[in-house]
Parts: sequence; structure tokens; C-alpha cells
Amino acid sequence: MNRVISTLLLQRLVQAGLVAWVVGTLTFILTRALPGDMAFRIAAGRYGYEQVNAEAAAAVQAELGLDQSPLIAYFHWLSDLLSLDLGHSLVSGESVVSELAHQLGHSLDLALMAMLLALVIGVPVGILSGLRPNGWVDRLALVSAVALRSLPPFVIGLLLIMLFAVQLGWLPAAGHGGGSHLWLPAMALALGLAAVSARVTRHGMARVAGSPYYAFSRTRGLSEGQTLARHGLRNVAVPVIAYLSVQLVYLVEGVVVIESLFAWPGIGHALVHAVVARDVPMIQGTALVMGLLFVTLNTLVDLVSLYIDPRRRLS
Amino acid sequence: MMASRSPGLAPSVARFRWASSHTRRRLSHAQRWGISLLAALLVFAWVVPLFLDADPTRQDLMSTLAAPSLQHPLGTDHLGRSMLARVAAAIRLSLGLALLSVVTAALPGLLAGVTAGWRGGWCDRLLSTVADCVLALPGLLLVLMLAAIAPGNFWTLYIGIALVLWVEYFRVVRSATRILAQSPQVESSRLLGFGRWYIFRRHLWPELAPQVTTLAAFGAATSILAVSSLGFVSIGLKPPTAELGLMMTELFPYYQEAPWVLAQPVLALFFMVLSFHLLAGKEPQ
Amino acid sequence: MTNHWRNLAMAALGGALLFPINVHADDRVDVVAPWEINSLDPVQAGHVYGRMQIAETLVDTDLQGNLVPGLATDWQSSDDGLSWRFNVRPEVRFHDGSRMTAESVAQSLNRTLANPGVLSQADIDSIEADGDAIRIMLNAPYSALPALLTHYSTQILAPASYTEDGKVQELIATGPFRIVSLNTPQRLEAERFDEYWGEAPAITATSYLAAPRGETRALMAQSGDADIAFTLDAASQARLRMTPSVALHAEPIPRTVTVKLNAAREAFDSVEERRALSLAIDRQGIARGVMRVEDAAANQLMPAGMGAWHLEGLAAPEKNLEKARRLLESQGWTPGEDGILQQDGQPFSVTLTTFADRPELPVIATALQDQWRQLGIDVAVNVGNSSEIPSSHNDGSLDMGLLARNFGLVPDPLAIVRQDFGPQGGDWGAMNWSSDALNSAVGELISATDEGRKAALEKQTAEILHEQMPVIPVAWYVQTASVNARLGGFAIDPFERSYRLSDLHWEE
Repeated sequence: MNRVISTLLLQRLVQAGLVAWVVGTLTFILTRALPGDMAFRIAAGRYGYEQVNAEAAAAVQAELGLDQSPLIAYFHWLSDLLSLDLGHSLVSGESVVSELAHQLGHSLDLALMAMLLALVIGVPVGILSGLRPNGWVDRLALVSAVALRSLPPFVIGLLLIMLFAVQLGWLPAAGHGGGSHLWLPAMALALGLAAVSARVTRHGMARVAGSPYYAFSRTRGLSEGQTLARHGLRNVAVPVIAYLSVQLVYLVEGVVVIESLFAWPGIGHALVHAVVARDVPMIQGTALVMGLLFVTLNTLVDLVSLYIDPRRRLS
Repeated sequence: MMASRSPGLAPSVARFRWASSHTRRRLSHAQRWGISLLAALLVFAWVVPLFLDADPTRQDLMSTLAAPSLQHPLGTDHLGRSMLARVAAAIRLSLGLALLSVVTAALPGLLAGVTAGWRGGWCDRLLSTVADCVLALPGLLLVLMLAAIAPGNFWTLYIGIALVLWVEYFRVVRSATRILAQSPQVESSRLLGFGRWYIFRRHLWPELAPQVTTLAAFGAATSILAVSSLGFVSIGLKPPTAELGLMMTELFPYYQEAPWVLAQPVLALFFMVLSFHLLAGKEPQ
Repeated sequence: MTNHWRNLAMAALGGALLFPINVHADDRVDVVAPWEINSLDPVQAGHVYGRMQIAETLVDTDLQGNLVPGLATDWQSSDDGLSWRFNVRPEVRFHDGSRMTAESVAQSLNRTLANPGVLSQADIDSIEADGDAIRIMLNAPYSALPALLTHYSTQILAPASYTEDGKVQELIATGPFRIVSLNTPQRLEAERFDEYWGEAPAITATSYLAAPRGETRALMAQSGDADIAFTLDAASQARLRMTPSVALHAEPIPRTVTVKLNAAREAFDSVEERRALSLAIDRQGIARGVMRVEDAAANQLMPAGMGAWHLEGLAAPEKNLEKARRLLESQGWTPGEDGILQQDGQPFSVTLTTFADRPELPVIATALQDQWRQLGIDVAVNVGNSSEIPSSHNDGSLDMGLLARNFGLVPDPLAIVRQDFGPQGGDWGAMNWSSDALNSAVGELISATDEGRKAALEKQTAEILHEQMPVIPVAWYVQTASVNARLGGFAIDPFERSYRLSDLHWEE
């Protein structure tokens, strides 16, 4: 057991290093390949569109030394990275680390809350559908899942605001700062996520419910609830957790729309701005943090799966 | 990693019979529904414009967001363009682009997945590492960058989205192939000297098909919604083209004034995805 | 991080109980607007600090755009117009309690001068403290200097705001409100500054939130989460008008949607061609259908309220395709087989570049595309980044650009006109076009002091721009705001310098 875990952790550590290098290098190449005058882009990000002109672009060019050769710039970045220095944003001038700390915190709040809600909604629906495959619950769940997946997230968000903020007045419409602000954007994300996790749960459940040991347990006289608790949940949990772990990363980055609709200061928003303004240190910092986050999450999921599913410890 | 447990032999045997008669297989109830729905959409998209003399880009600023009428059976959008003509044009374009995106994601994903799962060893390790790196690379970043390299081109958006989505296929196909490759059927076929293509056709594909097709059904929706999400942050706009995802973004500001107009591209996407799902039949685990 | 967990727990708790959490029943005035706070530095994000009345400038404006004393009590220029003296207001304290001195003002302004911005419009030689005043020496006369000193980039900060290498590390200014917390790029909270030199505001606390989507701002106004919401789209306005808890304000502002033309292109090198393009535009349709304001149709560059810059007595804009076709025909453009105009076998095919920082621009571009197509012009629309217009202006690759220009960036439009229509053209103005008559009028205006003469020159300049059409005006802007009905004393500043929060009070 311990040996399995330590091999796993070692593997993940190597992966983390590899990911950091690949992500950094690839972003570097891509940002250099982008068309458009970088100095003008950065000036527009800094001074706003009305102030950007040849003079501002020239000042940016001179200040940042943008005419440096790409190879030298790359090695600068690499050596800075090794000393854990992510540099300063070309737009705001603040250090990339402090900007990311602020934004990543908000993104994680949102993602974790959405995940929690998706589990609370998706898993029970999935179990109900899986216990009676092709029953009316199952069919209804499929149609709702398809419907939720065809609605763009901004429409889901809008409907939630209209209902909970404008009609009922229970929750703030948008913004951030208080705990109650988290509720609506998290819900908007969770609904789409719950749609698919309900399907994943349903298939896991249907398989378990159709298995001989499940039927045996029922004939032994255990109630449906007891059987489910004893045999069902644990077996269903593994694929659901594995699925959600991949989704969590999509969430962290895929929330741009929700962030911009709810005025939530997340990392997706930061990334879009950084790409638009050609803020290379911010792009690299964001990509790096998101990549490492992915590796960390994957490691956690593996550990949790090991815990839930003892069979895996042997392999 | 999630499908790595043996699914048991029974389904494979059952499907063995199915596969031998797959050329004249009867469609399930759901699949017939799916076909009818898709056919209805195709007819709408290609036939309606033949009978209706409406240009999807012709504007009339004096009758914007008009309610459905005889002249404009589905009303008009915020620039007074016929929604009927636009929705039909958008289905034609989006369907094609979504298919392009799905194929560019599914084919490499399938190929790499089968190769990794079958061959194992360093080949598997290499491909899995590449897949992990792609997954770790923020998908949004890849799409944004590609969109920035060739601005105003739809296909770069969809290719970028495909570059992100292929990993999903890879993961599912690889773990399924790993189990299948060690199954007695494959083992015996191999001993009997059957070629790789035969084994793939006979044993792997029937088992993989339902999983891949359902991923593809969701993938089509994902790529169209991704385009609309990008449009929401002002990336990928290309007026006056009608495309389902971008129409949702463009019409969003008028949700209160003309909800029926916003509902049209959403409904079109809903029916499109539903028909794919019904056609795909069984969903993956 | 602990803070986040607490928030999460609170949200979970609040949600689990579905407890009605009343977040806006306090005396704080919550403002929501589209513009992000992208830096601490006023040179970059001073528009927010100025509007929220955190930082102030030497010269202020009233609601009509007249210059009034700000941190300077009065100012004079020498007879040759080369030396200016601004007397610094005594007894002004910065938010950290330190006294504002002429030295600190000069330091702040010199830092602004070292950065790109409007101050470079005036050819400034030096800015120095001189007793209780500051002295600004110019290399050439510039009569609009006090107007430049209203711009947000010239806000005065305390010396303690800067690091040794001149970066802003903390925003210590002089306004009636001071920052309590600032989370770039979206949120700011401020409280009343009790040692403010002027009249103490009635409002004790304020907050600012940057919400990029218009839908969000309107919904926040409707739900009561925002006390003041700026820049609302037409659809939301109609809805808010029905909401009894808010009052809707609208005010025309000196911002114009224009089409910038590259006059070196074969297609735009004659007045006739530019006029033809203008005649093909359905401005009433754009005003009604896109801007949703009937008065938005622009018959000239500057809207009313801009003094002599606005030409009185011009007819309402008309769309006249016949006339436009004739004008183009006189320039050798004849319809080809596909309906697209041609000249010497070359089709009339151009690219219109625009950007989405202002969400109506891509929509207007789409409308223009269709209207010009009716004339036989093939227009491709490129929605990109705002920097593409100045950068393709400078490398000469631009065909035409659609943009929104704020002629009230400083209260005297001369500064922008000079920047946009000078001999070399301007990044956001004319391209490969210049007029000797205009240059000499602007050259005289820059040192003119006689009001009558100034008005005549301004009128002359406006007429040249109207006749020659180096840029085509399309629509004027109307600024809108929705305000909590319990708030009294609200007014929109047409120059968008201040939200005038210090004039507000809660009504019982």
C-alpha cells in the first residue's frame, strides 16, 4: 500500500515538472507566433483604448525591451522560473504571483462550490435513474441533461439571476465580496455539470444494480436502501469521482462566461485578458498554475480512488 | 482509468452475434426517433431556403426584433434579418463545423487510444504523457491562441476545440482497448492469424463504438457552446455569418424584449444534440 | 486562503437555509460600471479614481464643462503664453494626513509627464514648484493647458504613493473619499475622508464594481444590488423604467461613433467617394435600431453642447443611395457583373476593422456592411482588439475603422481635434489626409485668447471636417444611469470625469 502510494507520488512529481516545462515552452512559442503588434496590444491593455497611440506603444516598447531576441527571452524566463520568480504583469505592473493568488482563490471557491452542488444534484438523480433504467425518471433525466447541455451557460446564469435575485430577492445578482455572492454563479456552473454527472452515475448504478451480487443481496432480504448503501454507492463513486476530476479543470478554466456575467474575478477572465493584451508573464503564470493544479487534482483523485476501491491497491 | 475494470464477458459475446449481422441490424426505437429528428433538421436547413426568398444577411432596421409574421415566419433579429433564413443557415454551418470538430477530435483520439491500449509499453507511456500534458495545458489557452493566430476564421476555433477534446476519446478508448486486447476472443483471433484490421473491426470497434459515439454526441454540443462562450468574451465574431453559438451570444442582450428570438438557436442546438444522442443509442460508462 | 474557506462555508450555510440574505440594506452607495480598474496607477486607471472622487486634479469642471478651480485655486499665463502659473490650494491634506505642497504637486505631474498621455499634447519644457504655486514652462503656446490638467492622468498623489523607481504602490490622494480596499481589476471600496478640504459629503461609504456585461448591470440595478448602474442597453432601460425603486437618467455626451478612412486608398481618396459612403448610411435606422435613441443619428462630428464646434442649422442626416451612386460613378466606379462596383477591373472591396470594447460597435459594423453592400461595396468586417486601429494606422495597412471617439476626453475639444486631424493625421482620426486651412486654423486656435475669434476658428475647423469628411460621423452617444430612487442629488457628468458621489444624499 505505502509502496503504491509513494510510486504514485513520485510519478506525479515527475509529471508536474514535465507539465511545467511543456506548458511554459508552448505558451512561449505560441505567444511569439501571434500576429499583431505586441507593443500596441500591451499599450491598449494598460491605457485603455482611447489612450493607445503610436506614442504609448513606443513607450511600452522602450520600457519592456520587446525587441529582445526570443531565445534570450526564453532563457530568461526559464531561469526566473527555476528561482520561482514568475515576473510582473506587463499591464498592471503587479507581480504575477499576487495577481494569481487573488484570482485563483476566487476561481477555486467557485469551482469547489459548483462541484459540491453538482454532486448533491447529480448523484441522487443518477442513482434514481440507474435503479430503474429506461423508467420515466431515467428518460426525464436524459432529456433534462441534453437540455442543460444545449443551453449556453450565460442563459442558465441569467435565468437564475432573474429568479433568485430579481423575483425572490434572496441572493445578490452579481459581484463578489460576501459569502452569499458565491451561490448563484456556482449554481449556474453546477447545473451543466450535474447533467453529465447524473448520466455517469446512472450508468455506474445500472451496471451495479444489474450485477449478481446486488441481486443476491436483495434476495437475502436486505431492503433497497440497505443494499444501495452497502453495495451501490461505493461502486458508483469511483467513475463519478474520476469524471468530476477532469471536469474540475474544465471548470477552473471554463468559467469565463460565468465570471464575466457575474462580475467574478476568476482565472479564466484573467487568462482571456492576458491573451488579448499579450501579457506574456501573466499568460505563462496562469497556464503554469492551472497545469500544476491539474496534476495535483489528479493525484488527489488517485489517492481517493485507492481509498474507496481497495482492489486498485493490488494492481 | 475509470473504465479499467473488466466489464465481464457476457456483453462481448452478445455483441459478437450482433456484430456478425451488423450490416442489416434493426434500428432501435430511440434511434428511429433520432433519425427522424435529424432528418427534420436537415430538411429545415436545406429545403426551407429553396422555398423562401430570404437572405440571411438582408437587414431592415425599421423592423427589428419583430414578432413572427407571414413575411418572417420566425420573426426578425436585432438588425431586422429574417430569423427563419438565419436559423436555417446557422444549422447548415454549425452542423458542418461541429462534425468537423468531432471528427478531428475522435479520429486521432481513437487511433492513439487503440494504439496505446493495444501495444502498451513505451508507446502507451509516451501517448499517455502527451495526453496528460494536453489536459494540463489550459484548453481555453489553446483555443484563444489559435483564434488569435487566424482571427475571424471559424475553422481555427473548431480545430482548437478539437485539439482539446481528443484527449477525452483517447482516455476512454485506451482503457477499453487495454481490457479488450487481453480478452480470449482477441487472443484466439490473433492465434488464428487474423490481421490487425480484422481484429479491430471484429472485436474492438463493436465494443468501442457506443462509447465513442456518445462522446461525439456530447462533443458536438460542447464545440458549439464553446464557440458561443468565446463569442461572449468577444472572440471569434465574424459578422454577418449566421452560426448557432454566435447567434446565441448576439441575441442574448435581447432576452427580455424578444425571448422567442434567443430561444430559436438554443432549440435548434437542443434538437441537434438530442438527435445525436438518440442515434448514438447506448451511452458510455 | 482561510478567508475563502470561510466564504465557502458561509455560502453553503446561507444556501442550505435559503435564508434571505439582504446584502444591500446599508448606507453605502454601490456603483457598478463596465470599466475595469486595471492598475493602481492613475495614468492607467485614473478614470475610476476620478469618477469615484478618490483622486483629484488641479483643474476641475462643472456639469457644463466649464473649468473651475480644483486643487489649484487659480491660474495665469504669461503674455507670450509660454509660462503658466497654477496657485496650489492651501490646507489640503492627503489621505495619509500629510499636507499637499507645491513640491508634491510638481513631483506628481512630472511623473505623469514621463508617461505617455494627453499631457504630451502641450510641448512642456518643465514643471517646477515656485513658492505656493507651480510653474509650467512651454516650448510653444498652448491655450488649452488648463483643460489638459483636468484629465485623470494628471491626478495628484502624495509622495508616499510612489516607490523609489516611480511606481505607484499605494493610492494616497486628496479626494472626499479614500480607499478602504482595492482588488484589481474589479472592486474598490471607499469611505468618507474626514479631513477633506471641501464640503464634507453626506455619503459615508462607497463601492465600485466593474461588471463587463450590460445585462449584469441592469439586473443588479433592478434587484437593488447596485445603487447606481452606468451604461445600460436600451432593452434594459425599458425594463428599469417600469421598476419603481429606481430612477433612470440619460444625458448626451460628446462621444461620437465614426468611421476612420484611409484616404490613401483608391476607394477613399476623393471627397466624392467619402460623401457617397456617408450618403449610403442609414443613420436613423442605426440610431433607432441599434443605439435605440432617436437623437443619436449624427449629422456632424460633434454633438450639440460643444459650443462653436457644433454647426447649427445643418439638416438631419439623410440616406440617398441614388445620389451616392452618382457620386461614385463620377469617380469611375461602375457596377460589375456581381453587382460589386469596379474601377479599372478592381472591385470595391475593403475591410472594416472594429473592436468589441464597446459592444455596440460590432453591431453597427454589421449594419454598415449591409448598407454599403446595397451601394455595391463589398465590406469584410474584422472584429479585433482596439489596438489594431492605431497599429494598422501606423503601418498603413488599415482600410477603414469603426470607433467611438470621446471629444470630451479633456473639456476643450481642441486637444483631440489637434491630435486627430493634424498634418500627419491621428491614430484615431484622419489617415493620409490633411488640410492646410484646418492646420492654420488649429495653429491659430492654440494660442488664441479672444473668445470671439476662438469661436470663429472653431466653426471654421468644424466646417472643414464636415465638408471634407476625413472621418464619417455615424452616431452620437447618450450616457445612461439607473439610480436608486432613495438617492437624491444625482446628475450625469457629460464629460464622464466624476460620478459626483459627494453631491448625493439618502432621502428618508
